Amino acid sequence: MMNAVTLRTEVHEQVEKIGSADIVVGIPSFNNANTISHVVRAVQAGLAKYFPTRRAVIVNSDGGSSDGTMEVVRNASIEDFSAILLHHRVEPISRIAFPYSGIPGKGSAFRSIFEIARTLEAKACVVVDSDLRSITPEWIELLVKPVLEDGYDYVAPLYHRHKFDGTITNSIVYPLTRALYGKRVRQPIGGDFGFSGRVAGFYLSKDVWESDVARFGIDIWMTTTAIANGFRIAQSFLGAKIHDAKDPGADLSSMLYQVVSANFDLMEEYAGVWMPVHGSEPVPTFGFQYTVGLEHVPVNTGRMLGLFREGLNNLREIWLGILGAGDFREVERLGALADDAFCFPIGLWTRVIYDYAIAFHHNKLPPEHLIKSLTPLYLGKTASFILAAANMEGAEAEAEIEKLCKAFEDNKEYLVMSWSKHKGDQT
Amino acid sequence: MSDFYQTGVITTLHQLGKTSLERIEAELCDFARTRPIALALPALYSEFEGPAMPGIVQELAKVKYLNEIVLVLDKASEAEFQRAREFMSPISTEVRIIHNDGKRISAIYETFARNGFSVGERGKGRSAWIAYGYVLARARSGVIALHDCDIVTYSREMLARLCYPVANPNLDYAFCKGYYSRISSKMNGRVTRLLVTPMIRALQQLIGPHAFLAFLDSFRYPLSGEFSMITELARVNRIPWDWGLEVGSLAEVHRNYSPRRVCQVDIAANYEHKHQVLSADDASKGLMKMTVDICKSIFRTLASEGVVFSDGLFKSLLVSYLRQAEDTIMKYEADAAINGLRFDRNEEATAVEAFTRAIAMAAQAFEENPMATPLIPNWNRVSSAIPGIFDMLKLAVDEDNK
Amino acid sequence: MMDFLNLIFEPLQAVFQTFRVFLPNFLAMLVIMLLGILVAWLIKFIVVKSLHAVHFDSWSDRMGFTALIRKGDVWSRPSAMLGSITFWFLIILTLMIGLGALKIPAIDSLVEQVVGYMPRAFSAAVILIVGYVVAGFVSQGVLIAAVNSGYHYAKLIAGALRILLMVLILAMAMEQLQIAPSIVLAAFSIIFGGIVAALSISFGVGGIEAARRMIERETAEKPDAGKAKDEIDPL
Repeated sequence: MMNAVTLRTEVHEQVEKIGSADIVVGIPSFNNANTISHVVRAVQAGLAKYFPTRRAVIVNSDGGSSDGTMEVVRNASIEDFSAILLHHRVEPISRIAFPYSGIPGKGSAFRSIFEIARTLEAKACVVVDSDLRSITPEWIELLVKPVLEDGYDYVAPLYHRHKFDGTITNSIVYPLTRALYGKRVRQPIGGDFGFSGRVAGFYLSKDVWESDVARFGIDIWMTTTAIANGFRIAQSFLGAKIHDAKDPGADLSSMLYQVVSANFDLMEEYAGVWMPVHGSEPVPTFGFQYTVGLEHVPVNTGRMLGLFREGLNNLREIWLGILGAGDFREVERLGALADDAFCFPIGLWTRVIYDYAIAFHHNKLPPEHLIKSLTPLYLGKTASFILAAANMEGAEAEAEIEKLCKAFEDNKEYLVMSWSKHKGDQT
Repeated sequence: MSDFYQTGVITTLHQLGKTSLERIEAELCDFARTRPIALALPALYSEFEGPAMPGIVQELAKVKYLNEIVLVLDKASEAEFQRAREFMSPISTEVRIIHNDGKRISAIYETFARNGFSVGERGKGRSAWIAYGYVLARARSGVIALHDCDIVTYSREMLARLCYPVANPNLDYAFCKGYYSRISSKMNGRVTRLLVTPMIRALQQLIGPHAFLAFLDSFRYPLSGEFSMITELARVNRIPWDWGLEVGSLAEVHRNYSPRRVCQVDIAANYEHKHQVLSADDASKGLMKMTVDICKSIFRTLASEGVVFSDGLFKSLLVSYLRQAEDTIMKYEADAAINGLRFDRNEEATAVEAFTRAIAMAAQAFEENPMATPLIPNWNRVSSAIPGIFDMLKLAVDEDNK
Repeated sequence: MMDFLNLIFEPLQAVFQTFRVFLPNFLAMLVIMLLGILVAWLIKFIVVKSLHAVHFDSWSDRMGFTALIRKGDVWSRPSAMLGSITFWFLIILTLMIGLGALKIPAIDSLVEQVVGYMPRAFSAAVILIVGYVVAGFVSQGVLIAAVNSGYHYAKLIAGALRILLMVLILAMAMEQLQIAPSIVLAAFSIIFGGIVAALSISFGVGGIEAARRMIERETAEKPDAGKAKDEIDPL
């Protein structure tokens, strides 16, 4: 802890030396020495190419890497600017790399970035993941320009992804966020965002930095907070998102718990905001959209369905309590279907998610148990989507997701009606 | 998985295979556009504090095809009425609660009494009747479904299957009764198994083929409290306010509609509700009161169709019933054995003895006063005698629910 | 004659004498009882109110305590139930104190015994309740984790764990109550040790084949499962 404090003063000195900046680019990292130099160079190039007259700072907020990530950041540079530059760089780009203090987690890393942005009175901020392999200089332009020149407060990313990627986003986070807050932000937990200094200051004013937000769920927290507080939202098409494979040992149910509980926690806070919202509207989108080909991705749906049926056999009482008799029987019916005939109806799926949200709201089970018990259902839904989309083009698969979102919006009344019942009234 | 045998003169709709609730509900949403569906729920306040009601509300909150829900609340104070409203708030369908003990509805009941209409004692029959009245007064629904509020195993699949035959305009059913098996670790539903069916068979033996008996015998579960009907039927049917409600209602259906327009539907794989205690001696309580009322209702209906009940017929009926019931016990013993259910033969035999006494009591009561009828007049008659009654009722309920 | 009258009056006088001594005690008892009922009612009220304030009901919904009392066909709120338990506990306590005021030796010693035993009974009850909640929580967590990792016998594992924990807790409670402590200890050691021994023997001898198959299957499935996980990114 002492160490952290001294480093903080060190960082402060550095920040004071810089004085002020127009753009702050934050890169949170933890043992990303392999990939981060590419990210830093892409950011540098982007800043130099598109914002030559703006004063910019690259901030690396590190979670205590042991592989010399920060060294890589300090040393990464582009030898030959002339290869990519149209203009001569006027303003220098400063760099700060430091280990953040506080609860370990991406949220704490972002907090330090916001603080630096505030001290430097930055007009625009960008955060990008440190494990990106597909980042290009254009990303910086696409994430910063809507903020600096068009007056947007928050820019979410829009990627071109494989139809089977981002299943938690596609089947839970996107439809739920969209139905709740009425904004069609396609990648609410994309990880690469642009936002104004005003929003960064607003984030800092929120009393969440000692909570779970500091550990995980910062992405959905940022997006939801921006939408729910009426900031101007846009999204930018960044192209493909390719990043280092996630920790292969990462447990799916823990991932689900982190993402979904962050969503549900925000529902508690912004109940007054999302309840009156009906339908949804598109948000302005920047960038030139194009499609790329789909390579074949092998997915073991048999294994997923096996886990789904295992859940049905073992979690009967828990599911029955959460879903109610009618929908539980529907789920039971699914369990009897053969693998190739398996189809999780979208209406049922929306009710499952809403029922889990209501159960979370009414504290029916300890939160971690509750959300982890969703895993087999989620796997069933995912397998169903993969089976249905096996021969689809990207656009067709996207149309399926659009249908799901529509169902979430249509069913929202159920959530609203069941939510309004007071807490602790369930006897 | 059930068989597909058609029983008797009415249509039987089985549960064949695992059907999708999603599909039935989607179809019901379509049907509801031309035939809006009202759900009538007779309830006691005590049921709101019991095990079943939270589950029922949780399920009803997901039902989208209903046009209105009319809950008739009995035995509730003003504060309890408000609590019941709060309790029903998760349901997105419009819920109207008829507060039987509220001052406005009490005034309505007084109006009936003043005009010489006996609407009977409080109970499910009277609650159902007033619910029909309100649905008729609003004139917004073409179908009324009704079920109890003490079903512990409630699922909205029950409601969907119950509404389907009447709501589907292509099927043209006027009345649909729910049926189900009543199995826990043993066989429940004693009154149906050991009283009604054996007695109907005994009566058929004694008085020969009879349309009403054949009709009644066609129902797999004549005492089930779940049914749906076209609203028109609610206007012309009289319903008993006592325990003869189910059988009496069937008698009225039989009188007003052809069996071709009547069906029964398998609504649940399993069904559990609050059990009645069998008080072997006291005829005014629990199961005993129920069985006496049921028998009286059957006798009365048959008498009105020209069957002559002599002292000798009743005596033969007792003996014949006993024989039938004993045979039935043996059948169910075998049925329980092959399915591995607990079967207490002594308990069943005790029940049959009690039922025999109940038949005797009912026979005596019938002989003493064959005209005594617990039927509440139908709404056609009430509205012609008190022309403003529908408006009054509508106003009272709407004011209460403000 | 006088003697005879004395013979009659003396016992009566004695009875009257005893009664005179007894009456104030009896009145004291009545007052104690009355006050006790009042205090018990008041404390019950405070307990229920404060449990409401800390959202005890929703906590017990979450921890499965509500489900437990529902199994016992209790349909009141958990806070109300705890309130009535407190109430009746206090009533019994007042009854004890009240009876003590009668100053009848036999009752006195009984009261002493009961009061002396009370702390133990209380801590045993606390152990049981907390233990039940903890056992439920742990086994539920294990059940969900086991299902999500695809173990075939998830329910069995969770159930066995729950029973083991309950045995442990029951032994702890019995130990508190000092019901045949040596036997409880011995029985517990035998049962617990027996289970462990049985498991190791059955796995060691009977289950070698099964264990091998399971391990083989697990390892055989691993690379495949790992691949499926790596290919798509759920976020």
